[in-house]
Amino acid sequence: MHSILAVDDSASMRQMVAFTLKSAGYSVVEAVDGQDAYEKAGKTDFDLVLTDQNMPRLDGIGLTKKLRDNPKFRSTPILILTTESSDEMKQAGRNAGASGWLVKPFDPAKLIEVIKKVIR
Amino acid sequence: MLNPQAHDLHGKTPMPLRVAADLRDDLMTVSRDLDRLQKLLVQACDELMRGFHGAVGDIQALVETARDTPSQKLFESVMQHLGGAITALQFQDMASQLIAHTDQRLRHCADRLARERTGNDDGEPLVEDAPLRPHPVLQHEMDAGAVELF
Repeated sequence: MHSILAVDDSASMRQMVAFTLKSAGYSVVEAVDGQDAYEKAGKTDFDLVLTDQNMPRLDGIGLTKKLRDNPKFRSTPILILTTESSDEMKQAGRNAGASGWLVKPFDPAKLIEVIKKVIR
Repeated sequence: MLNPQAHDLHGKTPMPLRVAADLRDDLMTVSRDLDRLQKLLVQACDELMRGFHGAVGDIQALVETARDTPSQKLFESVMQHLGGAITALQFQDMASQLIAHTDQRLRHCADRLARERTGNDDGEPLVEDAPLRPHPVLQHEMDAGAVELF
């Protein structure tokens, strides 16, 4: 079973994401912000990281940069799921090493489709 | 203390002291109303989530008992509808972000109004950092968002 680290500071969003991923058969670990995610990522291996962008302490792009600096996560898919849709932010995500950019609100079927595509 | 000689935000006509005070009070009232709206939204969403998870649990249990029966297709259709509900329930998160952003802007306006009118920059600001960039929620509809793989 593939394991996914789901990161969002909104409890309701985490519930939605976790429900969608678990319903599709994935194992999910939740983190409340980028810092929490980075600490959890240090302790466990994940097949994919799905993170929000705007979060306290450490945002999604900051988390992506820190994870990419860690050899363990150099090739792990990192998807940013956010309300942000500006080209500048997307480019910043790409430069940080994100694998993709998804704009909220997400469609559960489409999210699972994308995850299947990026998890190899 | 308010300075009767101070000018308005554009540095042209002096704004009457009473008008500035009323405007600031109005802005703070709207800000407090937004805080209340935010709390109501959170409560409503919590309730919706409880109902949603309860319904999903019951439906999944029914799907197990109806496997390989004609009802199976009906249950699959229900699950698809629940998928649509997941998209719609994200409204609370997006609305909260918009409210928080608007609230911060209002407080910044009230703060600036008071400072400009009094000509006093020494007071404690109502907000630490003014939001200079546009709010992050740009979607106009509750459509599912775009996907871009790099």
